[in-house]
Amino acid sequence: MLSDREVTNTLNMLRNEHLDVRTVTLGVSLFDCVSHDLELFIANVQAKIARYASQLVPVCDEIGAKYGIPVVNKRISVSPIAVVAAPFGPEGMVKVCKALDWAAKEARVDFLGGYSALVEKGFANGDRALIESLPDALSQTERICSSINVASSRAGINMDAVAWMGRQILGCARASEAQDGIACAKLVVFANIPQDVPFMAGAYLGVGEPDVVINVGVSGPGVVRKAIDRLVARGTNDKGEALSLLDMAEVIKRTAYKVTRVGEIIGTEVAQRLGLPFGVADLSLAPTPAVGDSVGEIFQSLGLSSIGAPGSTAILAMLNDAVKKGGSFASSSVGGLSGAFIPVSEDSSIEDAARNGNLGMEKLEAMTSVCSVGLDMIAIPGDTPASTISGIIADEMAIGMINHKTTAVRLIPVPGKGVGEEISFGGLLGRAQIMPVPKGDCAAFMAFGGRIPAPINSLKN
Amino acid sequence: MQKCTVSFLGRDCPGVVSTVSSLLSEADCNILAATQSLLKGEFAGIFMVEVTDDLPLPELQQRLAQGLEKAGVDLSLIVRPSCEGTWGSNLVCQPYVVSADGKDGKGQISAMSRVFSRHGVNIESLRAFLGEGGANHALFVFEIMVPENVDIGRLRRELLCEGQNHGLRVSVQHRDIFEAVNRIGSF
Repeated sequence: MLSDREVTNTLNMLRNEHLDVRTVTLGVSLFDCVSHDLELFIANVQAKIARYASQLVPVCDEIGAKYGIPVVNKRISVSPIAVVAAPFGPEGMVKVCKALDWAAKEARVDFLGGYSALVEKGFANGDRALIESLPDALSQTERICSSINVASSRAGINMDAVAWMGRQILGCARASEAQDGIACAKLVVFANIPQDVPFMAGAYLGVGEPDVVINVGVSGPGVVRKAIDRLVARGTNDKGEALSLLDMAEVIKRTAYKVTRVGEIIGTEVAQRLGLPFGVADLSLAPTPAVGDSVGEIFQSLGLSSIGAPGSTAILAMLNDAVKKGGSFASSSVGGLSGAFIPVSEDSSIEDAARNGNLGMEKLEAMTSVCSVGLDMIAIPGDTPASTISGIIADEMAIGMINHKTTAVRLIPVPGKGVGEEISFGGLLGRAQIMPVPKGDCAAFMAFGGRIPAPINSLKN
Repeated sequence: MQKCTVSFLGRDCPGVVSTVSSLLSEADCNILAATQSLLKGEFAGIFMVEVTDDLPLPELQQRLAQGLEKAGVDLSLIVRPSCEGTWGSNLVCQPYVVSADGKDGKGQISAMSRVFSRHGVNIESLRAFLGEGGANHALFVFEIMVPENVDIGRLRRELLCEGQNHGLRVSVQHRDIFEAVNRIGSF
């Protein structure tokens, strides 16, 4: 029999604190679909995705209902298209992207990730074609997400790719001008991209992954915040002593454990029902625009006036670490990004802080050195020079490269709009006020091109 | 040897369990299983015991009642023969937790349990938390065993509907999720 405390605590998490499984992502390898014939390749890809994904949504819904925990998003990740569709040019890539979009709609998933290229050390033909196709591909499809890995701690930073991505991000924005540059919300530039991320826009299935696999992304910032609030309201720890940050870290860790267990039990059952292996649980605090489902609110519960105030980076470091510790104890297969996300438009509290001037690009960049991803969902003026976007990417990639961690950039230059103007993408993508970019010119630096070498692994300071 | 169930009900106080277990021992009863529960100061204890065939159960009841009176312990007592087997032992069942909360009112537990009964679902545990979520607030938690042939979707819909009729918010969840969240090594 369950104890009273077990019942009431769990019910509170489920009913009042936005506990859910953020995504169940079906990874499908497309390496066995490869062909020199575009039509045959597309037919192979669509057939394979349909074969494995047709039951994904009904099974997730059924298991979500069984446990009373919604699986909010059902998604698909595929092998990097730049590799499996390498024989084709940019026009062929756009056709592949549209075919993937059709497959995603047929499977009734909200996003499919893997329109990706890994170019940290240089470009292959497929990489060039895919990057060239990005504005057309992402503006002419609805559900396709793209990630481009331009840096790693082992290879360094491909500055040619960084410069090109600055231009292509602007190209994507212009190609989706009527929708405030929404194509850029589906495009992310990475350093050290993990091969098993279930979260979008970075999801893709790496070359070392199984043929088909189920990965799960669990979230729960609302649950973490409520747990902290309850501890603060009580005023003392389990021993009756005054609260310290050690107690806060402990409660975050325990809560992350609980949230991850939920993801693991649902993910393993989905995998079992579909007859597929279970891959990883990605234990990330991923906010949504809903009030009470915010990472930014956790900073307020921990004593800041808002996220962005002095102390924010320290709190984020503690939060990120405690989430990893609790989650890794709860699941034997932890992977993906695993940590805390700080996407500006997708988090009402972070968006408020940016709107009120409490959080700018510089502070966000500092915080990304200790969070799980990077500069995420930030709207910037549409007339931002490509070189400036590239410079911001280069800075972020450098943080990832030197610190041996994943970092990423998802910027949205909004065509025709300037600092302080509003945009709304709706749904999980949220809304934002356009943020100023750092002043100064980096065009001459970006023009050098080439590669920033990989860092030395000794003499660390 | 015969098996029987002895149940005690009354005001709780220190020494209650000592008294009833001593009386059972003096009556040469071998305790096979026991459970006790407290509800707002009321004690309920159920003992499954083995007793010699030559002691008729009415006589056992009389000896225990006299013992309780002599010890000055105010407990009601029932002795009845045990039945072999338990409900559901030949069924494949899944454990679920049904919670219902809202403004306290008459007939709520009755309404919910009628739905369970109609579907052949057994209630293994029922707890009511009254007033903990505010004045007049009630939270009912049913732990149930659902036979595999029961349409869980239909059961859920009927429970939600019955709950709505009685001002209750109902949720139906597999018990594994409660155990997974709270216990280490439960799955």
